[in-house]
Amino acid sequence: MKVMVKSKEELLQQLSDSVFEMDDENVADVAKEYIAAGYEALDGVLKGLVDGMNRAGQMYEEEEYFVTDLLVCSDAMYNGLDVLREHLPQEKAAGAVNYKCVIGVVEGDTHDIGKNLVRIMLETAGFEMYDLGRDVPLQSFVQKAKDVDAQLICLSTLMTTTMPGMKEVVDILVKEGIRDKVKVMIGGGPLSQAYCNQINADGYAVNATGAVTLAKQLVGMA
Amino acid sequence: MHTIALPRQTIKFSYDIGAGENLLNILVGQQIFIESPCGGRGSCGKCKIKHLGGDLPPLSDDEKERLTPKEIAEGIRLACLIYPTGDLEIDIVDQEENHQVLTGGYVPEYEPNPAIRKKTIEIIKPTLEDQTPYELLFARALGMDQLPWDVLRQIIMGEGTYTGVFNQDQLIGIEKGDTRERLYGVAVDIGTTTVVAALIDLRTGDEIDSEAAINAQKNFGQDVLTRITYVLDQGKEGRDQLQTAIVDSLNEMLHTMCERQQISPSLIYEIAIAANCTMMHMVLGVNPLSIGKAPYAPIFVGAKDIKARDVGLTALSPFGRVYCLPAVSSYIGADIVAGAYVAGLHNRKDKVLFIDIGTNGEIVLSDGEKLVSCSCAAGPALEGMNISCGMRAADGAIEEVYFEKEQGFDLKVIGDKAPLGLCGSGIMAAIRELLKHGFITARGNIVKPEELEAGDPRLPYIDLDGKKRRIRIGEGPHKVLITQGDVRQVQLAKSAILSGFVALVKAMDLTFSDLDEVIVAGQFGAHLSVESLVGTDILPKAVRDKITYIGNSSKTGAYLALMSLETRREMIKLARDFNYLELSVTKGYERLFAECSQFKVK
Repeated sequence: MKVMVKSKEELLQQLSDSVFEMDDENVADVAKEYIAAGYEALDGVLKGLVDGMNRAGQMYEEEEYFVTDLLVCSDAMYNGLDVLREHLPQEKAAGAVNYKCVIGVVEGDTHDIGKNLVRIMLETAGFEMYDLGRDVPLQSFVQKAKDVDAQLICLSTLMTTTMPGMKEVVDILVKEGIRDKVKVMIGGGPLSQAYCNQINADGYAVNATGAVTLAKQLVGMA
Repeated sequence: MHTIALPRQTIKFSYDIGAGENLLNILVGQQIFIESPCGGRGSCGKCKIKHLGGDLPPLSDDEKERLTPKEIAEGIRLACLIYPTGDLEIDIVDQEENHQVLTGGYVPEYEPNPAIRKKTIEIIKPTLEDQTPYELLFARALGMDQLPWDVLRQIIMGEGTYTGVFNQDQLIGIEKGDTRERLYGVAVDIGTTTVVAALIDLRTGDEIDSEAAINAQKNFGQDVLTRITYVLDQGKEGRDQLQTAIVDSLNEMLHTMCERQQISPSLIYEIAIAANCTMMHMVLGVNPLSIGKAPYAPIFVGAKDIKARDVGLTALSPFGRVYCLPAVSSYIGADIVAGAYVAGLHNRKDKVLFIDIGTNGEIVLSDGEKLVSCSCAAGPALEGMNISCGMRAADGAIEEVYFEKEQGFDLKVIGDKAPLGLCGSGIMAAIRELLKHGFITARGNIVKPEELEAGDPRLPYIDLDGKKRRIRIGEGPHKVLITQGDVRQVQLAKSAILSGFVALVKAMDLTFSDLDEVIVAGQFGAHLSVESLVGTDILPKAVRDKITYIGNSSKTGAYLALMSLETRREMIKLARDFNYLELSVTKGYERLFAECSQFKVK
């Protein structure tokens, strides 16, 4: 009996749905089926997995999805990505801008679920992410941004006690004379737009989906 | 010079009429304490003495007003209102009767052996032939070589019966007369939100009175972290303000209880405090900043035995002590050590899980040999904060909710008033019912009305706010609504606590069914029924029949520390035996958190 090969659209839909419906177990099989059928890996990522993640982000925005739902969605996305990655084209299209972002939880704080979510959503949106983890020494943000030539630094904290560290990162950037080269975005439970203004950061986002919109805006990503 | 004699107490001393002092002050100057709750202002009528002989000015109008004819006939006078004019013979009227003994939560058995004890001695006045210094007279009588400097400063020339007050082996004070009958302590639990104090008769272990108050530090921030940030911003001055706030509260609570029970504050010799680590730092004026930042190392965790005056606690004996129970870490404070001790985790051989549910949920698990603990940042949602219709447990707060298909929502409202909002237990009850009747899915979503059939009993209660769904559970002056956002807040808190619970059980290689008992502690926990705890999946349903309540075990731990030196030693040992599991760096924690966010109630 001949196995029917599914259409590309059907498989893309399945990849997207697997992520959206938090099916982190079957998504790898779907991705394998997609590659075996000879379809482009890049489309599988962007029109399949990322599409699913974007739909999930939309639901999160509408309070239909919970934070932890997004985390499971992202697990599914990464499981699919593990399969597709090796089939992605190695060379970038000429002239394509690489948007790089350094992200981490500021020194003194170890709560990183929110930061992880923002990293995932930014990655999904096409940023090249450098995740420094949690309890990150303030100088490291600036150093990493210089090393990789990042356009954006994302700072996160859940605790009021560690908020002053964010200002310090901005100050270090000023001191090193690269403040105009790097945008600074902040987020986390106790923060606000007022605090963002107060420390001269470039933007504050209230949640992970807001962070994506803001990040794109700050770096001028289409 | 004239003399005042108290024959029953075998006290006689001389005084100076010219000083123009009232009798109460003269007696206090001799360390003879009479109950004077109003502080000698002549308003309470408690500082009664019996006039036995000698000259006294006639009864004043104030005395006539505050004494019964029978008392007047017996020669009763008020010490603060009389100014002696010559030799006098009096008796102190014993007023410490009919204390109502209050019973609190569970108190384990213990061997009474308070740190504070008293011993009476007889002093024979030195003579010209024998000019032995008073220090030696007292020291010999007390069986010591010498007296501590601060006790020397309390000694006044005299003779007769004295009482030495000891803190363990340390002499801390000397009182005139035989005061062994009067020996009080106070057990205190300082919570971030509320402070509870209990007045204890150290001779009997009876709780005579108790008092609760809102922690006055709330003016500097609702939660621990905000208050630490206040110190971060304001420096030493901020630290002083926070210390003063809590110390003033404690002084006031002590005064209130003393006044109510007609006991002089000078008869309180020790305050034992259990509290979370931040509160303990703040009450002692120790810098709390390091608690609020990774790696979260506090300045101290050990037990402390300090002169109460040194930290500003004044509503007790001038030489009174404050004992602080030991903690484990920034997030496992003395309140949890106390609780675990009261729950018997130091000597139980079965598998017991202790959980204190509040803004932070602390969990301790003992498998009979080892203790592992963790702390989960639950946030204030379970206590009704960050909830759109949340309110504190006051009149108009819904505290219990039932849903019936035919009758709809049946509410129990505090004060039998029209419902205004939901307090913590009400939120829990509401979420429980909403889950039970399918208003909310296991993933925490409010059902969509379009997915329900016409005539579904849930339909009339689902409100739409644009696209967002809300559930109307009551109608008072306003609608009482549970929004999707409210459910998410509870879901976050529940995920935090349940994931800590599961992580600990896993870390010990146990399963839920291995647990012999799950002990719920804390003032707030006491208001959460088993139905609500299991029905909202804060605790897994597998432990439903193993849940017990222990009440304010932090205060009980402070009580035990007051009453028994052995328990102090055991608590110090217990604190050292704690292992701590830092959840945020536990492998796979994020995934576990996600799993625990599901309401697995069916």
